[in-house]
Amino acid sequence: MSENNEKKIHGISAEYESVDSLLNACRRVRDAGYKKTDAYTPFPVHGIDKALGIQPTILPWIVLGCGLTGTVIALVMQIWMNTYDYPYIISGKPYLSLPAFMPIAFELTVLFASFGAFFGMWALNGLPRFSNPLFTDPRFDRVTDDRFFLYVDASDDLYDSAAVTELFKQTGGEHINTVLEDDSPDKIPKPIFMMWGLVIATSVVPLLIILKMRVTNSDLPRFHIFFDMDFSPSKDAQQGSTLFADGRAMRTDVPGTIARGESGYDLDFMTGVQMDKLSAVDKPGAERLVRLTLGPIGPQDEGPADSAEEEVGEDDAPKAPGVMETIPWLTANPLGNSREVLERGQKYFGIYCSVCHGLNGGGNGLVNRRAIKILPTQKTQNWIPPSSLHQESLYAENYAEGKLFSTISNGIRKMPGYAGQIKTKDRWAIVAYVRALQQSRNATLDSVPSDRQEEIIERQNQVQQELQEQAEAEKAAAEEAAEN
Amino acid sequence: MAKMNDKEANHTVIAEILIPMSEHDTPQVKSADDPAFQLPATLGSLSLPLCIGGLVALLAGWGIANSIHARFGMSVYLTSFMYCISIALGCLFFVILQHLCRAGWSVVVRRIAETLMLMVIPLGILFLPILGTLFAGEGILYRWDDPNHALENHLPIIAWAEKTRWLNSSWFTIRAIIYFAIWSALALFYYRGSTGQDATGDKAITDRLQYWSGPAIMMFCGATSFAAFDWVMSLAPMWFSTMFGVYVFAGSILSAHCIISVSVYLLQKCGSIREEVTVEHYHDLGKYMFGFVFFWTYIAFSQYLLIWYGNIPEETEWFYHRQLDSWGTISIVLILFHWMLPFAGLMSRHVRRNPKLIFSWAIYLLLLHFVDIYWMIMPESAANGAEASPEGVKGVLASILSVTGMFAFMIGVTLSIAKRNRIIAFQDPRIRESIAFENI
Repeated sequence: MSENNEKKIHGISAEYESVDSLLNACRRVRDAGYKKTDAYTPFPVHGIDKALGIQPTILPWIVLGCGLTGTVIALVMQIWMNTYDYPYIISGKPYLSLPAFMPIAFELTVLFASFGAFFGMWALNGLPRFSNPLFTDPRFDRVTDDRFFLYVDASDDLYDSAAVTELFKQTGGEHINTVLEDDSPDKIPKPIFMMWGLVIATSVVPLLIILKMRVTNSDLPRFHIFFDMDFSPSKDAQQGSTLFADGRAMRTDVPGTIARGESGYDLDFMTGVQMDKLSAVDKPGAERLVRLTLGPIGPQDEGPADSAEEEVGEDDAPKAPGVMETIPWLTANPLGNSREVLERGQKYFGIYCSVCHGLNGGGNGLVNRRAIKILPTQKTQNWIPPSSLHQESLYAENYAEGKLFSTISNGIRKMPGYAGQIKTKDRWAIVAYVRALQQSRNATLDSVPSDRQEEIIERQNQVQQELQEQAEAEKAAAEEAAEN
Repeated sequence: MAKMNDKEANHTVIAEILIPMSEHDTPQVKSADDPAFQLPATLGSLSLPLCIGGLVALLAGWGIANSIHARFGMSVYLTSFMYCISIALGCLFFVILQHLCRAGWSVVVRRIAETLMLMVIPLGILFLPILGTLFAGEGILYRWDDPNHALENHLPIIAWAEKTRWLNSSWFTIRAIIYFAIWSALALFYYRGSTGQDATGDKAITDRLQYWSGPAIMMFCGATSFAAFDWVMSLAPMWFSTMFGVYVFAGSILSAHCIISVSVYLLQKCGSIREEVTVEHYHDLGKYMFGFVFFWTYIAFSQYLLIWYGNIPEETEWFYHRQLDSWGTISIVLILFHWMLPFAGLMSRHVRRNPKLIFSWAIYLLLLHFVDIYWMIMPESAANGAEASPEGVKGVLASILSVTGMFAFMIGVTLSIAKRNRIIAFQDPRIRESIAFENI
């Protein structure tokens, strides 16, 4: 006992033989005003909350909060990802399509609610807890078998060991026991460390095997864990297929397909040609152009082979100079000339055009510079440098807006068409920007607002100096390259 | 004989161990003649007025709807019929399920479901007018019954030939007979078994009912799913959804729990089973209502999601039609008021442990169940070559009058059956466990 006195007293427990006697004792303890109490039973006992006066838990609110958090996170995440951060068309649905987001919203709601319930229960119960002072009593082991225990904690305001003991005795409690501090060693036993070490060591083995396989050769055929994933029956680009009559796995667009955001444009806007005028002078030509631009829609007299031939013919047509001269091109940019349009044009010119034509349109982009650099080492010498956009023959008077648009769309000489990469509106914006570039070489000081003229003069001098230096450097580099 | 003794012994074990564990003051079951076990006279006397009034209202509702056009009239009738039979089938499922999982808690309310499920038998007679449309004319209700339907709507001949191999008058009739045979047999088997036990207290009856519950539930599911395909889905003959039977069933099992709650509440109001059914049983019924509200949503959304994602015209047609005009409004109403509102409203334990609130939510959900059935059937009620609409106030009133009429009639019939037996299975071996049942 003397030893026990030094140890902390946690409370008093009593043992009961049946549920009924336990519940009765619970009610007495509750009525006596004790608050910090607990009951221990081998199985869930209905009604014990009420008997012991346990207050309703706030766990449902935690679960509700976590569940709602899950819903909100799932929706915000998906909407932000697929609508704003990385808009991506999936299965032809709008970027923001709620039905597609519902399954994940549902799953995250359930997941977060379960986490809330599980970890919330832990937190409210003060878990994880590896030991409890009650375990010091060997009789307490029977709580998992056939005995019922009631416990009053020493930190209860009304706690008085004699009174509690008396109450337990009155209610039929046996083996009333003062619960003392658990003095068993709290060091983690060595075998546990060894076990963990073993588990960790074993877990490295597969990794080592993989690493070994990465650096050694084997005659054995490769082992396929998921055969159908390694050899998917789906077709890659350009592969053949027996499924379709034409033997190709890749399919062309359904007739009349219009790219997203490309609908509602008139024909003039899409071709750069005044279609009314063209159809007045060359009706079949206009029809071919429409078919080329829109794809095969509407009634078609020719079979598919014929129209394919036709398309090839049309592809060649712009190359014939006669046609290009006679076509009634649009002479004004339908987008106008606003700052917004020009900035858009600058952006797309920078992305698509500048690699060849240079950021200033001078025809000396990265591709050209690289070509000139490596040309002497190549056997073929047929490099056609990209055109400078500052030739007079490309100015608006000689090269209509519509024609420039058509060139960007369909290509010219070695330049490929960009209709597939750049949206119609952006191609028109590039046309506007090219005009601005051209004008920048021919502008007079009078076209600048008077309050900014000084600034321009200063800048002009600076730029000229820079250009001079650049030209010299290029010249030197070219000479050096030629010498080599 | 030895086997019997084993089972007897088994029950003794249940009685001695399980019951004292789950309840602490072993409850006494009242005697067989106790008035608490009888249908209250106030409710019993409603039987005849409900039957007569219901029939009048049904005929009036159908008559008004029929004056709009014949298909509208029969669609209104079918809506009323599906409303009643879905509730009856939900109750039948409830009873079989309790036996399948040997539930203890539900014994005190099971007889209510057992009585309500008998509605499937008189509903077999009320199905005759629907069957009659196939033989009285061409395509009065079901379009596939019209031989010109495929031609007029430019349907592919091969597809239509395949459809009509299943959807034709004679095979449809045979199937309907099979469905009603299965349901009636199951309903009678479980009702007779349970009421038979009232007289004898024979525990072997419970064993027998449990033994057959597995096959019973499989037969039930097959019949119910195919009945939903036949009677509701085939209104749009080219449309199909394998989920449709489950969707109808989801509303059905939800409304079954609702009508049980409403019945218990009203019986207790009139003085019966007040001590047997406690707040704990309301709590459990409430939990099921809460769960099945979400189950309904889950099934409805699963059906919608796949069709929306696949985006194949022959599948989307059905939902597209229900997104237009007044049908679109009803779709939104279903999302907001058949899912969100009751889901939020039934979430709290305090609501579920309040009989008055459970009663109110059950009434509410029974009303919404009508909207659900209406939404399934009425958008297909158009006359040939016309667009379906609720046909204004007249059409809506006719629909409500008709469904109220048929439902009142069925309740009247049910009350007259309930008068003959007790309203609680007081001899069930788990009755004490059920009375003493506690959730927490």
